[in-house]
Order: sequence, then C-alpha cells, then structure tokens
Amino acid sequence: MTSYASDPAWADIEPLPQDDGGPHPLAAIAYKDEYSEAMSYLRAVMAKNEMSERVLGLTERIIGMNPAHYTVWLYRSRVLAALSYDLRTELAWLNPTALKHLKNYQIWHHRQTIVDALDSADGEQAFIAGMMEQDAKNYHVWSYRQWLVKRFALWDAGELEIVEAMLQHDVRNNSAWNHRYFLVFGRDDGVVVEQKTIDREIEYAKETIRKAPQNQAPWNYVRGVLRYAKLSPASLKEFAAGFAPVERPEDIKSSHALDLLAEIYAQEQGKSEEAVRVLDLLAEKYDPIRANYWNFRKSQLGSASAAA
Amino acid sequence: MAHDPPPSAASLLTGEESVLNHTRHINYWRRCLKTFLPWQYTSNDSNRMSLAFFIVSALDLLGNLDSGISAEERQGFIDWVYHCQHPDGGFRAFPGTDLGELRNEENKIWDPANVPATFFALGLLIVLGDDLQKVKRRECLMWLTKMQRSEGGFGETLGEDGRIEGGNDTRFGYTGSGIRYMLRGYITGPVDGVPDIDVDKLVQCINISESYDGGISEAPFHEAHAGFTHCAISALYFLGRLPESSLPSGPRHDDVIRGITNLPLTLHWLASRQTAILDEEDLYDSAEDELEAAHTQTNSSFVKLSSFPLKPREVPQQDTWPLPHSLQWAGMNGRCNKIADTCYAFWVTGALTVLGHLNIIDRASLRRYLLDKTQHIVGGFGKVAGDPPDLYHAYLGLATLAIMGESGVKSFHTPLCFSQDANDRLEALEWRKKLIGDWQTESLKN
Ligand SMILES: [Zn+2]
Repeated sequence: MTSYASDPAWADIEPLPQDDGGPHPLAAIAYKDEYSEAMSYLRAVMAKNEMSERVLGLTERIIGMNPAHYTVWLYRSRVLAALSYDLRTELAWLNPTALKHLKNYQIWHHRQTIVDALDSADGEQAFIAGMMEQDAKNYHVWSYRQWLVKRFALWDAGELEIVEAMLQHDVRNNSAWNHRYFLVFGRDDGVVVEQKTIDREIEYAKETIRKAPQNQAPWNYVRGVLRYAKLSPASLKEFAAGFAPVERPEDIKSSHALDLLAEIYAQEQGKSEEAVRVLDLLAEKYDPIRANYWNFRKSQLGSASAAA
Repeated sequence: MAHDPPPSAASLLTGEESVLNHTRHINYWRRCLKTFLPWQYTSNDSNRMSLAFFIVSALDLLGNLDSGISAEERQGFIDWVYHCQHPDGGFRAFPGTDLGELRNEENKIWDPANVPATFFALGLLIVLGDDLQKVKRRECLMWLTKMQRSEGGFGETLGEDGRIEGGNDTRFGYTGSGIRYMLRGYITGPVDGVPDIDVDKLVQCINISESYDGGISEAPFHEAHAGFTHCAISALYFLGRLPESSLPSGPRHDDVIRGITNLPLTLHWLASRQTAILDEEDLYDSAEDELEAAHTQTNSSFVKLSSFPLKPREVPQQDTWPLPHSLQWAGMNGRCNKIADTCYAFWVTGALTVLGHLNIIDRASLRRYLLDKTQHIVGGFGKVAGDPPDLYHAYLGLATLAIMGESGVKSFHTPLCFSQDANDRLEALEWRKKLIGDWQTESLKN
C-alpha cells in the first residue's frame, strides 16, 4: 500500500501522531507502520471535520485493520450523509467487509443505519441467507435479522419457512429455534397469538423431539410455549414418559424428558418419591455431569420454587 | 519451555494431577506487561483499556504484581490510565482517538469517553493501588446519567447532539452500574448534586431480556447467551437488585423491583451450560446421532433457499449415554447446543457465584477441562482445546480458577472482576467510606 506521506493527494494534511502518554503505556501494540500512519491521518482529518471522498478511503483502510474502532464508523456515516453518497454503493461495499469480519458489532450497526435510511429491505433476506451459510449461529446476524423483521414488518414474508428449512438441516440450531419463538410470540404488529397457533407450535416441537429426543432446544422451546400460554407442564406428562419409561430404564431415550418428568412430579401432590427416582436416574446414569444440579433439585422438592 | 509435552488426556490415565502451571502463567502475563503485544492485536486496539486491565489484574491474581514491578513502573501505569481520562468525565478506551490540542467543540464527538473502558480504567487504578482521587468523579457520574437510554439500558459512547451510540445490551448496563458502584456504592438518589441513574428502568430492561429458556439475551426475544446472563446478574448485584431468594441474608420483603423473575429456570439454564462436547467434531458426531431419517418428513411449508445447503442426513435413532471417562473434562458453552469455550467457564461460574449457587455445577471436571484442555504450555488459556492463548481467554480462564478457589491464585470478587484484595482496597478508600457513611447517617435520620 502506498503511504499517505508520499501521496500528493494528502500533502495538505499534517498527520497527528498518537500520544501514548509517557514512558509506561499499558497494552501497547506493535502496530504496523501502515496502521500508525493511517490513524495519524484519521486524527488529523477528524480534527478538521473534513467531509470528503478521500476520507471514505481512509476510513475503509482503518476499518480493514481495526473494525472495532468505535468512532471511525460514526465518522464514515457522517461523511456519507455530507456527500449525499449513494447508499446502495455503500451497501455493496459492506457485503464483503461483513463476511471478513463476521463477528464485528459495528458493521451490523452500520448496515442497519444504511438499510434504515434506504427504507427498503430489498435483497437483505438473501444477503442474510448467504451469511448464515458461513455461520448459521452468528449472534449478530440473528440480531440483525430480528431488527429487519420488525423494521419492515416481515412477519409473514417467508421467515417461518426459512427457520423450518434451517431446522430441517440442523435440528439442534438453537438460534433458529429462538428466531421461531420471536416470529410467533414476539410480533409487535397487533396480531394476537391464537390457541391454534399455540397448538401448532407444541405439535411442531413434539414432532422434532420424536426425531431427535436428546436435543434440548425443542424441549426448552415447548416448555417456553407452555409458560407463554399459562399451561401446566403436566400436559406433556405422557409425551415425556414416552421417551423416559422410568419402569424400563434401558429404554430411556432422553435426559430432557426425565428432567421434565421430574418437574411434573415435583408439582404433583404426593409424587415426590417419583420425582426423587427420576432425579436419581439423571444424577446416576443419564446426565451425571449435572449430578450436583439434580441433587440440588431433589433438595428443593416440597419447596414452592420450581422452574415450571 | 518447548521441551515439555503438551497437556494431554494421558495425564489422567497415568494418575497425574491436573496442575496450574503458575510460573508459566506469570511469564505469559509479564511478557504482556513489559513488551509490545504482537501486531495481531491491532484489531483490538480500541479495547486497550480492557486488555491493560486483564494484564495487570492477572498478575495481581497470581500474586506477582507487587514483586514484579518497580514503584516507578507502577506510577507510570497509573499515569497512563489517567492520560486516557476524558476532559468531560469517563475514560477513553484507547489513546488512538485523542486529538490533543486540536480538540474543540466541533470535533470532540470523535473522541468520546467509553462506558466499558471507564469500568476497566477504574478497576485498573484500584488494582494498581491508586486512591481514585484524580478521577473526575462528579463529571464521570454526570456523564454516566447521559449514557442511559430512555428505556433503561446503557450505551457505549456519547455522540453528536448527545445521542447515545453503541449497543444496548447488558454489557453496558453491567459496566455502567459497576462505575456507579465503584464511585458511590449502593447510595441511591443524588450525590453532590449529581442525579442517580434510573435503577428501576435498568432492572426492567434486564428483566425483559430474559429468554423463554431462562437465560438472558442481548434484547427481548434474542437468544439466551451466557455472557449477557452474567453481565445482567452482576449488574443486579451492583444495583442491589438480585432476587430475594438468592440474598445471603434471606428475603427483604421490600417492594423494590428485582431482577431474574424465575430463579429456578435461570439456574436450570446455567446448569445446562456444562458440556463434555469440546470441539466441532464432537458436536457433529452427536448431531449425527440426533438426526433420524429426516427425509421421511415431506413438508408442505418448505421453502428452499437457493443458497442454503439442505441435505437431510440419514442416521438411525440411537442415543448413547455418557461413559464416565468422557466426563473427566467438561467445559461450559455459551448457548444451547454449542461447544465448550474457556470464556464461558467464567461467564457461567461467575453468574452462579453471584447468585450463590456455584455448587450446582461439577467443578472438578470444569477445572480439569481448563487445566488439561485449554491451558497452554506457554502460559495463558486458549479459547478451545489446542488454541494459542489470547489475553481475553487467558484472563477469564484464570478468573474461573480463582472463583473455584484454586490454590496459588487470590480469591476473586466476581462482579468487579478482580481480586478480593483489590475490593478490600476499594472499600477502604477514605473518600468513599466518608461518602457512604454520611449517606447512611443521613438515611437513618429520615
Ligand atoms: Zn470465548
């Protein structure tokens, strides 16, 4: 890369070097010259509040080396506004940048600002699908997806179908389960959750559990749905017992079914012996990593507090 | 140091104890303190204050800070932290935004104070033995009130026209309430004419971020995550708003709004984080076990995304139960069905410690996981088994061992994220004792 110092286009700028404050800086980094120089020019143009095309190039170079710099993005946004820059062009620039720095918060925030200003979600769902191909559980991408759904009211724009496709591919993807919960129970557009929707969600979770009973995500999901609908977990007693026949421990298929059974017994009058038996099975054989937790649950039996 | 074999599973089979290699950790951190960090840390340049905190506090935890630095160095480090103090209160996260003498009303928005950095700067000063007398406390607390959004959460920096920039998750509520705690303890209401933050709103903001499974997420309806869960719980500690049943003194029966609306469910979620699945291959294997003949499901509402790979895998339904030897090492994951990662060992054990329930996890296998799997031969800890160390995971790995009472490591104050010794120094600061003492006397009178 050419240096700014030798570039005639930057000859009018006096770089402002970093002042690290004395002989004992902490966490000092062996910066490459390219970074130190670019940062010195950035400080100089920020000090003048310069709003120009060349500043966009400079911010791009710094973002490439330090995408977590929290004011370089704000500065770039301000320059874009000052130049009435084409936001579609900015979005096109962001796409490969986002792929390179998948785990960076600022990039997603910047994208949100631009898409918000464009007032259009065109192409965004496809872009997200591409990002999720790289990492189907990326937290920022899912957060951005929720923002997009809310901002552009995409509740019925194929999101639920996308989630189902993703769960079909990887039934353990808890991010997808969570997005499903958001789509069904997090609507802010006045659509009420009807009983048939609740039934559909419970059935969907059950179907998924039947295919892979030792997957905690749908168990958490269905218990969440029950809590939302103010239904007792006891309504799942038979279903859970199907994966955890306590009389035939060799046929037990799911520690999560045992967990739920223990919960149901704990809330049932006079069933604390059954609860103890189930919790012992968990502690001793089916989930011994959590033996301390299951024993703690035993110690809580009879007290009012239960994780319904 | 390159002659030792890497830590391996074999050590257990031969009956060898898992050990914290004290000397190597000290060497690792001293190198970080006294020499430049490699250029790869450039992408973390804007987190230098937290990196500095990790380095100095790790040496304190290892009992090597006092003997490892001269009085002149100590003063130099303190000066560097104060060099990052912002003229209008709070601290910068790194010197890189400092415009020096060119700073003016028009350009100062590019050089703001930063909430997490201010939390770490104050902690760093306390660990270094400074009395915080040169902290612009009034300005800092005034600035802090401007960092709270109307719905209760905190942001990261103050931008143009007083707009609050940055995320809006529990990390900022945690560090914001931590700043308040360090500078004014549990005092509620105005101090020296500086108003308090809106504590109730922050607690409400945390409560609506609880997920359907009991963990806490970035925002309402986002996925539960151990980092956000820890930050929320530690924030509640700083605010004096932990759930009543988790208070050591028992229920208070006051009518203030408290956090964690379903403690048993949150404990269930935290206990569920412990896992013997330590790498992606393990995860794949166990996922394979799970996917029973998905092709049998022909599904009506199926939308194929052109770019999304959709090849249902066909495997028989066969669950295997853990064999004891596979449970020798069990780390913590950050979300449901993810693999173990060193930092989540901290976020989970920390959250449980603050809630008073560290005993619900298996500490022995977690300790072995850290010492045998992610402890690195040069010192420090990596993110996952076999990874080179980085400052973040190295600190949080060490902090986890401190929480669990590892010998040779100082005891730990979890919410403040530094040693109990440092907390004792904070509590002994004369100006802070007086501030809190006066307030207590005043509130007894009323
Ligand atoms: Zn990590």
